[in-house]
Amino acid sequence: MSLFAGVSGGAADAASGVGTGRALLELTPHKMAVCQLVQVFAPPAQAGGDVVPPFPFESLAHHNRLGLFLFTLTRSCEDFLEPPLEEFLRQLKAVDNLANGWFCEQLTSSLSALNSPDDLFNFFDKLRGVLTAPEGASAEDVFLDPNSQLGVFLRCCILAFNSMTFEGVCHLLADLVMYCNSTDASYDLAEDEDFNSEMGNLMDADIGSQVGIFDKFHQGYASERHMGESSSALTRAPTSTYYFDDANIFKADDNPTCLRSRWQLEAYLNQQADILEKDPGSVPLNSFNATMTQLQTLAPELHRVQFLQYLNALCHDDYVASLDNLHRYFDYSAGMQGLFGRSVSQVQDIVVGKYESALLCLGNLHCYFGHPKKALEAFAEAVRVSQMNNDDSCLAYVLGAISNLLSKIGISNTVGIISSPYSLGTNIGLGTPLSIQQQLLVLLKRSLKRADALKLASLLSFDHLSLAKFDLKHVQRPLVSFGPNASTKLRTCPADVIKNLRLGSLVLTDFGADVLSTSNDNGSFSTSWLRNLSAASDSWRRSSKNTKKLHINDFDDFHYHAQPSPVPAPILQLAGSAYLLRATAWEHYGSAPMVRMNALVYATCFADAASSSELSLAYVKLIQQLAVFKGYSAAFCALKLAEKKFPSSTSLHIQLLGMQILHERALHRGHLKVAQQICDEFGVLSSSVSGVDIELKTEFSVRRARTLLAAKQFSQAAAVASSLFSTCYKYNMQVENASILLLLAEIHKKSDNAVLALPCALASQSFCKSFNLDLLEASATLTLAELWLALGSSHAKKALSLVYQSLPMILGHGGLELRARAHIILAKCHLSDPKFSVLEDPEAVLDPLNQATEDLQALEYHEMAAEAYYLKAMAYNHLGKLDEREEAAARFKDHVTALENPQNEEDSLAY
Amino acid sequence: MASAKETYRAELRAAARQLGERCLYSAAKWAAELLVGVEPDASPVPSAAMDTPSSSSATSAGRLLHLHRSGGSSFRHRPRPGGGTSSEAGTPLGGVSYVSTPIPDDDAFDSGGDKYLLAKTYFDCREYRRAAHVLQKQVGRKTVFLRCYALYMAGEKRKEAEMIELEGSLGKSNAVNQELVALEKELSTHRRTGSIDSFGLYLYGIVLRDKGCEGLARTILVESVNSYPWNWSAWSELQSLCTSSDILNNLNLKNHWMKDFFLASAYLELKMHEEALKRYERLMGVFRCSGYIQAQIATVRYSMRDLDEAEMIFEDLLRTDPFRVDSMDIYSNLLYAKESLTALSFLAHRVFLTDKYLPESCCIIANYYSLKGQHEKSVLYFQRALKLNRKYLSAWTLMGHEYVELKNTPAAIDAYRRAVDINPRDFRAWYGLGQIYEMMGMPFYALHYFRKSSYLQPNDARLWIAMAQCYESDPLQMIEEAIKCYERAANSNDTEGIALHQLAKLHGMLGQSEEAAFYYKKDLERMEVEERQGQNFVEALLFLAKHYKSIGRFEEAEHYCTRLLDYTGPEKETAKNMLQGIKRLQSGFPSMDTDHFAL
Repeated sequence: MSLFAGVSGGAADAASGVGTGRALLELTPHKMAVCQLVQVFAPPAQAGGDVVPPFPFESLAHHNRLGLFLFTLTRSCEDFLEPPLEEFLRQLKAVDNLANGWFCEQLTSSLSALNSPDDLFNFFDKLRGVLTAPEGASAEDVFLDPNSQLGVFLRCCILAFNSMTFEGVCHLLADLVMYCNSTDASYDLAEDEDFNSEMGNLMDADIGSQVGIFDKFHQGYASERHMGESSSALTRAPTSTYYFDDANIFKADDNPTCLRSRWQLEAYLNQQADILEKDPGSVPLNSFNATMTQLQTLAPELHRVQFLQYLNALCHDDYVASLDNLHRYFDYSAGMQGLFGRSVSQVQDIVVGKYESALLCLGNLHCYFGHPKKALEAFAEAVRVSQMNNDDSCLAYVLGAISNLLSKIGISNTVGIISSPYSLGTNIGLGTPLSIQQQLLVLLKRSLKRADALKLASLLSFDHLSLAKFDLKHVQRPLVSFGPNASTKLRTCPADVIKNLRLGSLVLTDFGADVLSTSNDNGSFSTSWLRNLSAASDSWRRSSKNTKKLHINDFDDFHYHAQPSPVPAPILQLAGSAYLLRATAWEHYGSAPMVRMNALVYATCFADAASSSELSLAYVKLIQQLAVFKGYSAAFCALKLAEKKFPSSTSLHIQLLGMQILHERALHRGHLKVAQQICDEFGVLSSSVSGVDIELKTEFSVRRARTLLAAKQFSQAAAVASSLFSTCYKYNMQVENASILLLLAEIHKKSDNAVLALPCALASQSFCKSFNLDLLEASATLTLAELWLALGSSHAKKALSLVYQSLPMILGHGGLELRARAHIILAKCHLSDPKFSVLEDPEAVLDPLNQATEDLQALEYHEMAAEAYYLKAMAYNHLGKLDEREEAAARFKDHVTALENPQNEEDSLAY
Repeated sequence: MASAKETYRAELRAAARQLGERCLYSAAKWAAELLVGVEPDASPVPSAAMDTPSSSSATSAGRLLHLHRSGGSSFRHRPRPGGGTSSEAGTPLGGVSYVSTPIPDDDAFDSGGDKYLLAKTYFDCREYRRAAHVLQKQVGRKTVFLRCYALYMAGEKRKEAEMIELEGSLGKSNAVNQELVALEKELSTHRRTGSIDSFGLYLYGIVLRDKGCEGLARTILVESVNSYPWNWSAWSELQSLCTSSDILNNLNLKNHWMKDFFLASAYLELKMHEEALKRYERLMGVFRCSGYIQAQIATVRYSMRDLDEAEMIFEDLLRTDPFRVDSMDIYSNLLYAKESLTALSFLAHRVFLTDKYLPESCCIIANYYSLKGQHEKSVLYFQRALKLNRKYLSAWTLMGHEYVELKNTPAAIDAYRRAVDINPRDFRAWYGLGQIYEMMGMPFYALHYFRKSSYLQPNDARLWIAMAQCYESDPLQMIEEAIKCYERAANSNDTEGIALHQLAKLHGMLGQSEEAAFYYKKDLERMEVEERQGQNFVEALLFLAKHYKSIGRFEEAEHYCTRLLDYTGPEKETAKNMLQGIKRLQSGFPSMDTDHFAL
C-alpha cells in the first residue's frame, strides 16, 4: 500500500513550476521540521517491523490525519512566510491531541539536537532511508511512495541539501537554532514601545513636512510589526477565527524570515489576486502594498508581486501608481515568465508576460479609468505587435477586449473618437471605414473565429456572450437595402441572442470535461484545512480560558469556504455571467419571472466565483423587481441589506440603484424638489466626456424629462426628450428610442395634445414590435388607448379593444404601476363608452378600480391614485351608493392634497 | 584674510586627525585633501602640526604655477566671484555669517587608552570583530563609537558575504546587517542619555538609514553635522537622503561653511546645475587648489553639456593628480561624448594601472570598448562594475545602451529598469526605455517613458523631440500632440534644429500655411546663422516662395525664388518657372498663366 500515490499529479506540476532555478526549493528550518515529521509518519523500514500503524499512532485514522496534515503543509498558501515553530507546534497539537503531545516533544527535541553541521548531514542521511523501499517489501508494507507529494517533497529537500555549499549549511544551522529558540524567547514588547514612544517624542520635535514623512514611516513600521496578522487577515476567512494572541506577535528579528516554496508563493499571489477581484473593498490599499513590498524585498526576482501591486492600485483607483506598476512589471518580466500560471492545462491559454500583453493590460487600464481613446490606441498597438510576433492567442484576446470597449462606450459613428486616419478601420484590416457597431460586430466575429481555431474555451465563451449582448441591442437591417421600400425594415433577433447564450455555456461544459480530468489544486483547500485546524485548536484553547469566546461551528465554516470546487473559478464566472445576461435579456423582452429566476440563479449559485460588481448587478436586478412588484418599502429593505454587503462607496451599481428608486418614489409622491435633486446627482455621475457612460447619460436625460413632466413643464420636457431622441439616433441606439418615443407621447398626452402624441405612440409601438420589446409594447398600446379616449368618446370602443389586447401581457408580467394604469384605463373606457351603463355591470368598472387603488397604495403614487378614486366616486355616484361615494371622494381629496402640498419632502431622501 | 584661511586650515587639520583616529577613513581623506586645497598665503605657511611646511608649500606653489600656465583657458579667465578679493572669501554667501563651531577637544585617552590603540590597529587591519571585542565593557564616547563602528563594519562585511551565499532562485535574499538591531538599541539609549558625540550620531544615522527609517535618520544626521560639521561622510549620507528639493530646504542646518559644500553637491544631484555651479565657484575662491571642487565643477559643466570647459578642467585635474580615479568615470563619459578615442584609451590605461577593481575603472574601460564598437566586451566590463557595486546607477544605464547596440532588447529593458528603480530621477534611463519600446514598434507604450523623462528634464529638447517623433509615427499619427512637443523642443534650445523643421512640415501637412511659413522662416534664419545648408534649406526656401506667391506677396516670393536659383536640382527649375509666373502676374497678365502646372 503506497501512501498518497494518487496525488502525484499535483506533485509533478509543482516540480515543473519551479523552472530553471538552481535548486528546486530552498531548505529552511520549517521544511526540516516537516521532514522530521515525515520521518515519523513513514519511519525507515525496520526489519520485521510490520506493525500497522507504526509506533506512536493509535489508529489508522490517526496516522492518516498526520499524513493529511503534512500534505497540506506543503500546499497551503495562506501567507508567503513560513510559520514560526510556535505556530507550527500549535497546529501540530491539533493533530497530536491523541498522542499526548508526543509529536511536539519529539519534534522539538530532535530539532534542537542538531547542533553541528555534521548533525545536519546525518539528519538528511537518515531521511534517505525513508524513501528506499525495504528489501523484499510486499505490497502491503507501508512505505512512502517516492512519487507522491510527500515523497517528492522529501527528495527535493535531500537534493537541496546535497547541492548546498558549506556556507549554506552554516546558514541553515544558524537559522535552525534561531527557529528553535524562538519558542523559548520571552517577548519583551518593552523595546518596541520604547522605540515608539521615542519616535513620538521625535515627532513632536520634528517640524514641517518631515512630520508627514515620519508619519508614513510610523505607519509602515506598525504594519510591518503586524505583518503576521495583516497578510493573513487579507484572506477570506472570517478574521475572528484566525488571529494571534497579541502577546504572540512574532517579531521578524527573532525568526529567520523564510519564504515558502515557489509553488506556494505563486498560489498565495493567485489567491490575493482573486480576493482583489472579488472584493476590492476588503483590501486596504496601504497595508496590502506594505505586505507586497515586504515580499518583494525578500524575493526581488518574483516580479508578479508588482503585478499584484498594479491590481491593487487599480482596484483603489490610483491611476499613477497602477500605471507605474504595470510598466515596471512588464519591463522586468516581459518575455521572462508567464503572467499567472493559473491555467491548468498544459497548453497555456495565453502566453503572457510579453510586450503585447503589456499593451493589452495597458489598454484595459485605460478602459477602466475611462480613457477610451487611449485604450483604443493601446489596443491597436497590441494588435500590431501581436501580429508582428505571431501571437495569435493574444491577438484574439485583444480583439475581445476591443469589442468589450466598443460595446461599453457608445461611440457615435460621426464624431471621430478615433481621430487618426490609422483608426481601427484600416489598422485591424477592416478595409473600408465602418460604423462603430459594424466594427464591433466584425471584431467579435474575428475574435470568435480565432478563439475557436485556437481552442481558447473561455475566450470563445466570452465572445459568445458579447455577441449575445450585441444582438440584444443591435438592430439589424436587411442585407439588401436598395430602393426606397426595403430600407425601413428593422428588427432585433432574440433567437440569435439565445443561441449565443447557449453556445457560450456549451463551450464551457466542453472545457470543463477537459479540465476536470487534470488536477485542479490551487492550494486553497490545503490553506483552509490548515486554517480550520488552527482555528479549531485556537477556539478550544480559548474556550478553556473564556467560554464566551467560543466560536460558532468552525467546521461549517470550513466546508462552506473550502470545498474544492470542481470547476475553476474563471469558468464559473463566465458561466454565471451567462445567467446575468439572460436576466438582462428578459428584462428587455419583458418577462418578469424569467428575470427574477435568472438573477436568483446567479446570486445563489455563482456568488462564490463572482466579482463584486457582477454580483451587485444581480442584486440590483432583484431589488428593481421588488420595487416594481412589491412597492418601495420592500425594495428599500432589500437595498439596505445589499448596501451592507456592498458599501455604496465601492459599488456604483448599488449607488445608482438607490438613486433610481428614490427618484421614482419622489416622482410618485410628488416631491419635485427631491426628484430634481436626485436628477442633478445623476447628471453629476454621468461623465462629461463624449461617448463615455452613454447609458448613464441616457438615463440622466430620461429622468430629467420625467421630472420636468411631473413639474408640468411640458415644453421643456419635450425638448429634453427630443434632444435625447436625436442623440440616441446619432449613437444608433434604436432600442432606447422605443422608450423615449413613448416618453414623448406621454409628455404630449399630459399636455393635452393628443394629436401630437399619437404618432409618437404609434412609432413607439411599431419599434417595440420589431425589437421584440413585449412589455414596452403593451405599455405603448395602453398609451395609445388613452390617446384614443382623449380624442373623444366615440373612440371608446377602439380604445377598449386596445386595452384588452394588452391586458394578458400586462397582467402576466407588468409591474404594479402598469397594472394599475391598465385597470384605470379599462374603467375609463367603460365609463366613457356611451353604450355602457354602470348600473348594468358595476363590477366591470369597480373591480379594476379596486385593484388599481390597492396596487397604487404600495407605490404611493398620488396622482394616479387620485384619478382612480375619482373614477370610483363617479361610479358609486352613478350607482347611487352615497356612503361609498363619500369615502372614495375623501380618499381622492387626501391624495390630491398630498400631491399639491407635499410634506416631509426630506423623508423622500431617506430610506 | 590670511587668518580666515588659517582658521579653515586649523579646523581641517584637527578634523582630519580626529576622523582618522576614529577610523572614518574617507571623511579623513576628504578633509585632508581639502586642507591641502586651501589657497596658500603669500607668506610661507607657519609650521603646522601635521605636515612639513616645505613640502606643502612647494607642492601647492607648483600647482598654482601650473594653473597659471594653463591660463589660456576660459576656465582661468572667468571672473571668480569672491576669488579676486579675498575679503569676500571669509564672508559667506548671501551675507549671512557663518556660525563658528568650536573644534571639540578630543577626549584624550581616557581610561582604556591602550586598548583603544589596539582596537584601532585591529580595525586598520580590517579585523572588526576583534576590534569590537577588545573594546568591550569600555566606556567613553570615543571607545563606544569605535566599538559600535567596528561592529557595524563587521556586520557589513558579513552582509556582503551573505549576499552571495544566500542568493536563491528568487533573487537576492534578505541579507541584512545582523548588528543593526543591537546597534540601534545601544545608540538610541546613548542618545537619550546624552552620552553620544557627533560621530556616534553619524553612526546612528547610517544604522537608521539601513533599517529604512529615513526620516529619523535625516534628523539624526542633521544633529550630527550641526555639532561636528567637518565629517564629510555624514554630509554625503545626509545628501543621499535628500531626494527632493523640498526635503533639502526643510533641513534645519547650522550655517557652517561646510554647508556650502553640502548644498552644492546636493544641488548637483538634484540637477539644479546653476545653483551648484555658483556655490562651487565661490568655494573655489578659498579652496583654490582643491581637486574635489574642480572635479565637481567639471561634473556640473558636463551635466550642463558644456563639454569643452569640463574637459579642460578634467585635464588639469589629471595632470596634478594623475592617480585619481574619483569622478574619472564622468570624464570618460565626456570623452565618449566627444568621441576622442585616444584620450579615452589613455585614461582607461591609466586607471587600469591604478586600480582595476574599482567600479569606476571598469566603467571607463567599458566606455572605451563601447566607443570602439566592441559592445560585448563593453557589456562584460559594465557587468564587472556592477558586480563591484550593485547600485552603480550610470553603469546600469550605460549597459542598457550597450544592450541596445547588441539588439538584446529584453536585457536592455531590464538594465534600464534597474537603473530607474535605483534612482527614479534618472532621465537617461527613462529615455532609453522609451527608445527601446519605440524601436520595437510600440510608440504608444513608449510615450509613457518619454513623458517620465521629459518631466524630469523639462528643458532638454532631445526628449521632447523623441516624444514628438512617437506621436508623429505612422501608427499613432497624433499630429497635434506632436506639434505641441516640437514647440516645447523649439523653445528649449534645440541645437540640432529638428524641431523647427518638423514644426514647419507638420503645419504644412495640416494645411496651416501661415504657421508653416513662420517656422520655415525661423528655421531658415537659424540655418543662416549656423551657416548650414542642405535639403532642409532648399525645402524651406521653396515652401516660402510658394507660400508668398499664393498669398500675393510677390516681392518676398521673388526674393526666395532668386535664392533658390543658387542651388542645383529640380528646385532650380521650379524656381525659374515661378519667377516667370510672378513676373507675368505682376505685369497684369490675366489668369492664363501656366505656372501652377510647374508646381
